[in-house]
Amino acid sequence: MHKSWMKRQSRLGYLFIGPNMIGVLLFFIIPAVYSFYLMFTDYKFMSPETNFVGLDNIRRMLNDDLFVVALRNTFVFLLAVPVSMGLAFIVAVALNKSVYWQKTLRALYFMPYITSGVAIAFVWMLLFQPTSGPINGFLRGIGITNPPGWLSTTEWSMYAIDIIWIWFMLGYNMIIYLAALQEIPEELVEAARIDGARPWQTIRQVIWPLVSPTTFLLLITGLIMTIKNFGIIQAITQGGPGNSTTVLSLFIYQNAFRYYEMGYAAAISWALFAIIMIFTVLQWLGQKRWVHY
Amino acid sequence: MRIKKGLTGLIVGALMLGLLAGCVGKNETNGGDNGGGAAGGKVKLTMWGAVPPENGPQEVVDTWNAEHPDIQVEYVRFVNDDDGNLKLDTALSTGQNVDLYVNYTLTNLDKRIKGGTALDLGEFTDYNIDEKMGEDAASWKVDGKYYGMPTKKNAAFFALNMKALDQAGLSVPTAWTWDEAREYALKLKTAGFKYGLVQHTASYVDPLDSVLVKNGYVKADGTSNLDDPLVTKWLETLNGMMKEDATTPPLGEQLTSKMPVENMFLAGESAMINIGEWLIRTSNNMTEFPRDWKIAFAPVPRLAEQEADMVKSGGLGDFIAINSKSKNKEAAWEFLKWYADGGMMPMAAGGRLPSSNAVDQQTAIDHLLGDYADSYDKESLEFVLYGDETPTFVRSIAQEVVDLRAQEYEKFFLGNQTAEITVQNMVKRHNDWLKQNQ
Repeated sequence: MHKSWMKRQSRLGYLFIGPNMIGVLLFFIIPAVYSFYLMFTDYKFMSPETNFVGLDNIRRMLNDDLFVVALRNTFVFLLAVPVSMGLAFIVAVALNKSVYWQKTLRALYFMPYITSGVAIAFVWMLLFQPTSGPINGFLRGIGITNPPGWLSTTEWSMYAIDIIWIWFMLGYNMIIYLAALQEIPEELVEAARIDGARPWQTIRQVIWPLVSPTTFLLLITGLIMTIKNFGIIQAITQGGPGNSTTVLSLFIYQNAFRYYEMGYAAAISWALFAIIMIFTVLQWLGQKRWVHY
Repeated sequence: MRIKKGLTGLIVGALMLGLLAGCVGKNETNGGDNGGGAAGGKVKLTMWGAVPPENGPQEVVDTWNAEHPDIQVEYVRFVNDDDGNLKLDTALSTGQNVDLYVNYTLTNLDKRIKGGTALDLGEFTDYNIDEKMGEDAASWKVDGKYYGMPTKKNAAFFALNMKALDQAGLSVPTAWTWDEAREYALKLKTAGFKYGLVQHTASYVDPLDSVLVKNGYVKADGTSNLDDPLVTKWLETLNGMMKEDATTPPLGEQLTSKMPVENMFLAGESAMINIGEWLIRTSNNMTEFPRDWKIAFAPVPRLAEQEADMVKSGGLGDFIAINSKSKNKEAAWEFLKWYADGGMMPMAAGGRLPSSNAVDQQTAIDHLLGDYADSYDKESLEFVLYGDETPTFVRSIAQEVVDLRAQEYEKFFLGNQTAEITVQNMVKRHNDWLKQNQ
């Protein structure tokens, strides 16, 4: 009697998670396995025949100069993550205290995160306009005679994208940091103050270690989000000028949906997956040294 | 127990069915419509094109539908970019209802033929495409066959500010070189324009393709011909115009501000623009872009010395194919013939001149210019549209090659590499691509 009840219970359980499992299976597991298979074929969308080509796609990738360029650009893109987090922490500490227009400021900082990517793209293209844009206008105003060409030069374009991305992520990182700061018991800060700690010491030695789990979370999710993102670059530069802003995810998109080279795109996707995996594992191992729960 | 088990299976089954039905539901309804057609009832055709319905296509299908109650056509718009073409290709390869679709490049058409979704029109014998459309149609042939019908006359030309030309004492050229165009630009700039010439980034490479169509993209030994001396000539001419003469906007600035070049020409900031027939759509909009001067037209300049060596961008466009999986091929064919032989006329106002000789040229031009015929120099327009005998081409190279070229010449115009290195890189990458795709 008891056993059959258990059985029935678990069957009911499967029924409830069933729809979700089917979704995961159809839209995640099967495509993932399929893309792993595609990596070893020369499948081109719309093309009638597909051959098994073994490791050709991987060999091609390793010999592809553009892959190397995309990899390098991806790492430059990733610089935005720690910078954005650092700024977000400072802003969060400032906004955690009672400052004027606290709520308004919080909302303003969060604004970019909920704004449409295309709108962001157009506004920043105007701001970065090399000769008549306000950013270079300002730089010239403070005496820089030769301000960077930002998006119109291959040297600066990736950093310009970084700046946009830092600005975009700031609000999100700040909100999460704010939540973490609110969790810190007042007594700890109070105790530090009574012991004679200066504000900077309090932040460095009390607050920062206490929010380290949050920092860890933001770092991992931030790196993954950034490494996967291409929408903002697609909207602003399409990977140009030249190929100075082609990051890996955009490179995959172009190969798959512009050139229909699905097999090759699958190979690069798995390379990207491997990179994300290595990053995450390394951080996971390293966290013991600096994350305090 | 048993009932419960059955019930669970039933629910799971129903959920699965629901999911699957979501995927194929669209197909089934279409199948239903088509079945009706066979029984002598209504046939329903779906045509995919990239022109917004309000710019002509809706009027075209409305006219047809009113005259042909037995064959009703529905127009579906896709945007002619990567995403839009992907949408069409997905629809084609998954068997959604697409009976007719418009190809805008040979590159896209080629994929669709290989995918087995374009019908060989050779099976219809009551319409001679070569006769109706003229010699230019042949550049759309693949393996000697027509997998569709080119319906529109492409026209690439320089539009010129006639007033400025007259004031500077310059004549409207009927054939010229890039060196001459560069001088024109300089003279017009000194006459008070911010720029002598502006171009769309899409038209940038037309001179290169002119050269390479004539001299071959690939040499006899199978390697890249992107090191043709005229390629370097093009790079240096345009670079000189950007940097020495400042008669054309620097590429970096044009890319980042997505420069609205048509507006700049119509607002009198630039005296010349390298463009095509679609300019008329904007230049006829006198409320937004008022002007008190006439627009004159000149052929696109050539890089080669000799006039006989010129092949110009142009040819025919809007290549409409019939889906080989369509259940109503005959009906689609009827519509296609009607469309090409004048049915498409409402689209002329948007710059789409019919290519069929069944259509009167004068009527087409009247439609094109609408109420503002007086604001154009008609003589030079007729020359670039119908008078110029220069052979034409339709760009047929793969997207990868277009992109790799662009990436390298962008670096050159931005000053990152010399013309020599640019050519070397182009050749190397083109050769790699050729090896990959032999």
